[in-house]
Order: sequence, then C-alpha cells, then structure tokens
Amino acid sequence: MARASHAGTDVLLSVENISLSFGGVKALTDISFDIRKGEIRAIIGPNGAGKSSMLNCINGFYHPQEGRITYKGVTRRQMRPHEAAEQGIARTFQNIALFKGMSTLDNIMTGRNLRMKTGLLAQALHWGPARREEVEHRAFVERIIDFLEIQHIRKVPVGRLPYGLQKRVELGRALAAEPDLLLLDEPMAGMNLEEKQDMCRFVLDVNEQFGTTICLIEHDMGVVMDISDRVVVLDYGKKIGDGTPDVVKANPDVIAAYLGTSH
Amino acid sequence: MLYREAGQFKTSYDADQAIFPILQDRIFVLALIAIAFLAPPALGMSEYLYTEILIPFLIFSLAAVGLNILVGYCGQVSLGTGGFMAVGAYAAYNLWLRVPAVNDLVIVFLFGGLMAAGVGILFGLPSLRIKGFYLAVATLAAQFFLDWVFARVKWLTNYTPSGSVAVGNLSAFGIDIDTPVARYVLILAIVAVLTLVAKNLVRGHIGRSWMAIRDMDIAAEIIGFRPLRTKLLAFAVSSFYVGIAGAMYGFLRLGAWEPLAFDINRSFAILFMVIIGGLGSILGSFLGAAFIVLTPIILNQLPGWLGISMSTALISHLEFVIFGAMIVFFLIVEPHGLARLWAIAKEKLRLWPFPH
Repeated sequence: MARASHAGTDVLLSVENISLSFGGVKALTDISFDIRKGEIRAIIGPNGAGKSSMLNCINGFYHPQEGRITYKGVTRRQMRPHEAAEQGIARTFQNIALFKGMSTLDNIMTGRNLRMKTGLLAQALHWGPARREEVEHRAFVERIIDFLEIQHIRKVPVGRLPYGLQKRVELGRALAAEPDLLLLDEPMAGMNLEEKQDMCRFVLDVNEQFGTTICLIEHDMGVVMDISDRVVVLDYGKKIGDGTPDVVKANPDVIAAYLGTSH
Repeated sequence: MLYREAGQFKTSYDADQAIFPILQDRIFVLALIAIAFLAPPALGMSEYLYTEILIPFLIFSLAAVGLNILVGYCGQVSLGTGGFMAVGAYAAYNLWLRVPAVNDLVIVFLFGGLMAAGVGILFGLPSLRIKGFYLAVATLAAQFFLDWVFARVKWLTNYTPSGSVAVGNLSAFGIDIDTPVARYVLILAIVAVLTLVAKNLVRGHIGRSWMAIRDMDIAAEIIGFRPLRTKLLAFAVSSFYVGIAGAMYGFLRLGAWEPLAFDINRSFAILFMVIIGGLGSILGSFLGAAFIVLTPIILNQLPGWLGISMSTALISHLEFVIFGAMIVFFLIVEPHGLARLWAIAKEKLRLWPFPH
C-alpha cells in the first residue's frame, strides 16, 4: 500500500538524456527523469542496470558524456563531488564508506565539515571561535545520534561495529550535512528484517520531519513499493518504467526485466 | 589505571571534549610536565644525560609528532623527513647568520619551520595523484634532492667547505642559551607548546579532515573535503614541525653540523619511531622516540652494568642485533605500536583486579 505522500510538485532535480559509457560499455543510455521536492524517489532494476552509476552522475562522481542535470534550477553538464556536497547533496554508499579508524561521533562530525569555518590558528589554540564551533556542531550531531538511536556507540571506532549499525552511522553522517537531496545507495542491503524495519522508519522520519528529498536504490521490492512515492526502473542502462509503485508494478516491461519472458 | 572515571559526570560537551576528561589524568600530566621542567635542573644531572638522552629524545619526539601528523593522521607516507629537517636547520642558520637583528632563537626556529612548511607543500603536490608506496618513492626524491641542494648550493651553507656550519652565542627571550640546562628547558618549552597545538589540531575538524582522507579518500571528497587542500595542509603542518625539530637539532644539540646530519638514515629513524610508537597517536610519537633513542644506549651500557667485559666492537654489533630483533618483536606483538599497548594496559587496569 502506498503511503500518504509529502511530495509537492516543484522539481528539485531533473536529469535529461543522460548517457554514460566507460570505453565501449554503455552504462546509461538516454536517461531522463525528475525528482520532486519532498518526495521519496526509488531507482530499481536488476544487477548491472546502472542504478549506482546514475547516483554517481547526480553527485558529480561520474561525468556523463551526454545530457544535462538541472538541480535547484541550475543546469550543468558536470560538477566536482565537493561542489555537489556544498549545494546540499549528500549520499551513502552501497559498500559502506565510513572512516573506519574514527569513532561514530567523529564520523558524523565529518558530515558537518562544510559548516565548520574556523581557521588553522584558532584550531591550533582551541580557543574562542574554534571551541564554540566544536561544541555547537557537537550539539547538532548529538541530536542526530539521538534520532538514530546510536547513543551507546558514540565513542566506539566504527570499524568495530556490526554491519547494520555501520549503515546507520553512515546515514547519520549524510544527515549531519543537513542535505536538501539525500541519495541512499541500497540502505537496507544485507540487513535482517528487524534492521530493515528500523531503517525504513528512519528514512520515512527523515523525509517527514526534516522534509528532506530522498532518492534511494533498493532491491527489496516490498520496501520500495511501501515507502517510495514514485519509482524509476532501469534495465541495461535504459529506462523501462517510471511512475507510482502501482503503475510500475503493472508495467509489462518491468515484469519482464525481473522475471524474464518466454520467447 | 588504578583509578576509575566513576562519579565524574560530564554536564557539557565542552567538558566531554577535553583532552584528558578524567581528573586524575589531568593531575598526572600536569605533574609530569612540572617534573620535566623542574627536576633535571634541580638534580644537577651530568651533561651527558642532557646532550645524549633528554635533548635528542625531545627533539626526535617533536619530529615524530610532525611525521605522525602526515603519515599516521593523513595517511601520506613520507621518506623525506631528514630533508625537511635540513631545510629547517639551514633556513634557521641563514636567518641567524644574515639578519643579526633577529637572532632570538624562537624567531629563528619559527622561520626554519615556516620554510620547511613551504618546501613540504611543494613536495606534497604529487600526493594528489600518487598514493602509498609510490608517494613514498616521490618523497624519497625530495630527500635526495634536498641533500644535493645543501651539498651544492654554497650560498646556503655560507661557502664553508663540505657544507659544515657552526653556531654560537645563542639566546632566546634575551636569555643566553649556553648551558645544557638552558638548552633543555628551551627545547622542552617549545616541544610542550607544539605538542598541545598538535593535539588541538588532530581533535578538531582539521584533524577529522586528515583522518577522513586517510581512511577513505573518495568518501571524504564526496562529503565535501577537498583532497588536495587537506593533504597539502597536512604536508605543511607536518613539515613545520619537522623543520623546527631540525633547527633545534642543529642549533641546540649539535651546534655545528653538515648536511650528512640530515641524511636518509634520519628519515628512516623517524619513520620507525612513528611506526613503533603508534600511527595516529601523539603519545605514540613520544613512546617511539624514547624507544629508538634510549634502547641503543641501554643496550650499549648493559654489559658494563652487569659486570660483563666485552670488546666495544662486539657490544656495538650485539646492539644492532638485539635492537633489530626488538623492533621485529614489537611489530609482531602489537602492529599498532606502543601507544596501543598502553591503551590496552589502561583498559585492563580500569577493571583490575576484577576480570570483567
């Protein structure tokens, strides 16, 4: 059952005719879709369909050979990853990309890096502005820690944490940047049912409480159909379906891509 | 330790973020610093103890802190430490020699550190493109290049034969630095201040940016860190520390030196201090420096203390063998260095005498 949508009709990000290839391999061919402000948008498709490549294009990690991306009304061919971060795009990774040697707290604090401005000298003396800044951001990060219910692992190096908690810390790090657009690459992969339910709850809460627009890749169809407002389906780098979960579920091409067809 | 943090509740983030959150630790460290400043002068120790043990230990600790910032915190391997020490030493020498108006040692050392930082940034530029062992080789080139510069560019060594230079009549804050005690106290003060600064840097957002680059540079870039800027800052700060250590080594330990004092062996020795002491640990830098400086001396003296008579050649060869074996032993037992051993001991003592 689809949930009540919080999405408006303003488009936050639209990709038009994106094509990306690595040498002779076409990862994406002529993909167009949009993400509306406040919605949860899912990208699904079989393995190797180009879902992660699509996210990598959006946050500037890959540079598509063709096509345009319009974000917050500004059209661009490409940008650097840190520019995407500065403009409010945050993401998590399919294979957890936490800073393993640092504690949970420090990992989430790194998400605040673009808002921490004090210079080398103030930092060196740990005096005045540097000290105040550190405490202010710590307070913000503590709210995220409370929200994600990870108070007990605050000072544990993340390399020692179990997989499910690492995923949660990574979500925390992305949230710490207060993003406008949050890209989640398989946030529930490898989790058990209970962890999945927790993660779904966090994703929905982020969307509802902070109004964050979310674009997620996920393989668990039950999850995707439950929490997303609209779904785009990729297969072999081409878009084969786009619409509300009910529309996509009934699309014969999508069914063929997932279940195969008899010839 | 034998004490616990029980009952010490933090009511502000500021208190929770202190360097030593536990009261007993604070007392212990303050006491240690006070003893370090007051005890040696009061005890009237021999000159040998100052020039062979305390002063080298402190100077190499500072160099190790500097290198640890680069290798341990930012993950950029460097074999150019000796070269950057040489830059610090010769830059300081040239300022001291050519501008007599500013011959205060603190200013001279700062200048040496800043010049080394500049050179460090220059040789840090390749780090954007190359990583790991390949970067180590690139910094090795820095070492050889700087060796060559100080051997060949005669102006830098004031046209002395073989680049050997000497300094004398030193003073800092208007006080003559002419006795071992004065040299020791000046070095200790500089090392104490710079260690505090290093600790502040690594626990703030600059330190987090270094560690983020070290642990996963792609993720760091995607959440907004600029890789080149972050790495170059690490090179600059690291070389600044190493340069000041080099200047102090030349001015206050040797008094007269030639480029050979800062050759590739120096680079390796300091890298070993960092690895044995513990990558990514300020305390580890000190433990590593103590291990590398003290162990050979102890091994050298041990036969005499035990009343065994041996030829000096045999002693020095045994020293190499045992020292090498100890390094291997420590790296097998605890690859994360002496600092980790210390952390584990503290963790165990926290519960002692109970098993859980």
